[in-house]
Amino acid sequence: MNDVGMASKHRLAAFVAAVFCLLGGLLAQARDERKAAVGMRSAIEQLVLPGSELTTAPTTLKAPVALRIVKVWPHGTTFRYDLEWTGLEAGTFDLAKFLVRKDGSPTTDVPAIAVEVASALPAGMVEPSELQPTPAASLGGYRTLQIVAAIVWGIGLLAILFVGRRFRRPKAPVVAVPTLADRLRPLVEAVAAGKSDTAAQAELERLLVAFWRARLGLGEQKAVDAIMTIRRHEEAGGLLRQLEAWLHMPTPPRDVDWAKLLQPYRAVTAESFAPIAAPVAAAKPAVAAKEAR
Amino acid sequence: MTAPAASPVVRFAETRTFLDQIRTRVGKVVVGQDVVVERVLIALLTSGHLLLQGVPGLAKTLLVAAVSKTVDLAFARIQFTIDLLPSDIVGSEILDQKTHEFRTHKGPIFTNLLLADEINRAAPKVQSALLEAMQERRVTIGNQTYPLPAPFLVIATQNPVEQAGTFELPEAQLDRFMLLHRLGYLTTEQEKEVLRRNVALGVRRDGKGAVARTEFDALGEQQTGSSEQLVRAMEDVQQVHVSEAFLEHVVEIVNRTRKHPKLELGCSPRAGISLVKSSRARALIHGRDYVLPEDLFALAEDVILHRIRLTYEAVAEGFTSQQVLQEILSEVAR
Repeated sequence: MNDVGMASKHRLAAFVAAVFCLLGGLLAQARDERKAAVGMRSAIEQLVLPGSELTTAPTTLKAPVALRIVKVWPHGTTFRYDLEWTGLEAGTFDLAKFLVRKDGSPTTDVPAIAVEVASALPAGMVEPSELQPTPAASLGGYRTLQIVAAIVWGIGLLAILFVGRRFRRPKAPVVAVPTLADRLRPLVEAVAAGKSDTAAQAELERLLVAFWRARLGLGEQKAVDAIMTIRRHEEAGGLLRQLEAWLHMPTPPRDVDWAKLLQPYRAVTAESFAPIAAPVAAAKPAVAAKEAR
Repeated sequence: MTAPAASPVVRFAETRTFLDQIRTRVGKVVVGQDVVVERVLIALLTSGHLLLQGVPGLAKTLLVAAVSKTVDLAFARIQFTIDLLPSDIVGSEILDQKTHEFRTHKGPIFTNLLLADEINRAAPKVQSALLEAMQERRVTIGNQTYPLPAPFLVIATQNPVEQAGTFELPEAQLDRFMLLHRLGYLTTEQEKEVLRRNVALGVRRDGKGAVARTEFDALGEQQTGSSEQLVRAMEDVQQVHVSEAFLEHVVEIVNRTRKHPKLELGCSPRAGISLVKSSRARALIHGRDYVLPEDLFALAEDVILHRIRLTYEAVAEGFTSQQVLQEILSEVAR
């Protein structure tokens, strides 16, 4: 590349750098905000003030402006400042009044730094609006609520149990469960009179076995052992054998006087089923005894 | 219902002698199992199958072997194991290498008296193969159906289901057994008698050596009855009179098992039939030509107990089927 080409390139680079510097300077222009609304933070930058270095004066809560020195640079024989201020009341104020010298010398030579603070509210209005009183939420009472709910639930339950059922269900007639004696008597009468069917005869056999099981205290014995014991009993055995012969033999005996045989059972009562004084010892036959094993 | 004209004493004298001989002969070998012998005879006379349940060592196998040797019956025994196959029982078709044709090999089920030892040790498909044959009394091998010989009776034994390595028979299959008898331990005196007999067994010479004799050796080969006598006894059972009142009792018991609040499964109609059939056989064994409620109550436990099932609540409350059945039987006679 020749010398002419190189020189033109340097010139172009210098031009580009100058353009960038100009743009940077424009973008980095110091802020100088002298007007603001109450409570809004504003800044005055690169402000050169004569004399020795300044600092903020001690402030109070009632001060209309809050001032802060953000940065300080020496500027020849003076200093250059970045200030940040916030107006707390509407009006025009001199920020120089809020500065003092660090070395304690007077600040008479400091020029006025006027700022204006505007209020967004109408004149004379201090607060945005009056607070409206609101009713306080009820505190407590949950236990009372629980007690009331429990009482209501209980009343409802009692109503369902006693009132609802009474209305729904007609009173069922109380029917006494017939005792064995009550069941036995009509069967005895029917068989004695010769007016019984097979079902009645079978039930009579079962009830007479039950009668003698109760009387001989054989309730704990197996049914087959109880029958064998009853068959061996002096009084019950005769009746049972005749009954079995009559009911189960292919050619039943005809000369049985049922009216006479069943006579003792015509007047049985619930008390008749009570065990007799001397219960019969279980006389187990050979096979039955082995079955019980 | 039949009302025979002849005297029961005359009609059944021969049968009674035959049955007494069996009981006496079996009693010489098996001690204190009179009830079980009676149940085996009931099963034999009614062609109803019998399941014997008890812990090992209660002479179940010996008992059945004794009965079969006493009567002139073909006897076979199958020891059920987990690896048994259905074809091991019913038979199979085998290819004849000489003729290049299949020929049928009949299994041990083709017998009169089959002892299925420890039936609940076999897998369910083997159990069902046997139980199907029990129900239909015929088996199919290949494309051919073969009837089983008559009489055909299965006496199965099973260990209590709580024991390890057992498959519980389902209710439907248990129902095929007319009776399920639970064997208990012997009394002290009976136990002593068993030991006395065992001590006296001695040894059996076999060629140049000898082996200790067992109760099976004591059985002998002499038979006391013929199959013809057994057939006549079976015919006699059919002559035993069943009264209407007796049927009322049976229906009453069966119905009560169906309505009992502690029972989930009550008796099937087959249970009622079994009660009547077995009661007739028991009546004949006891020398009667008519049944009595005594027969019904004596057999109820063996006929009914394996056919009922407790509700979950009853099991949770600690009830047993035996307790509930006794409650039903007591209520019937109450």
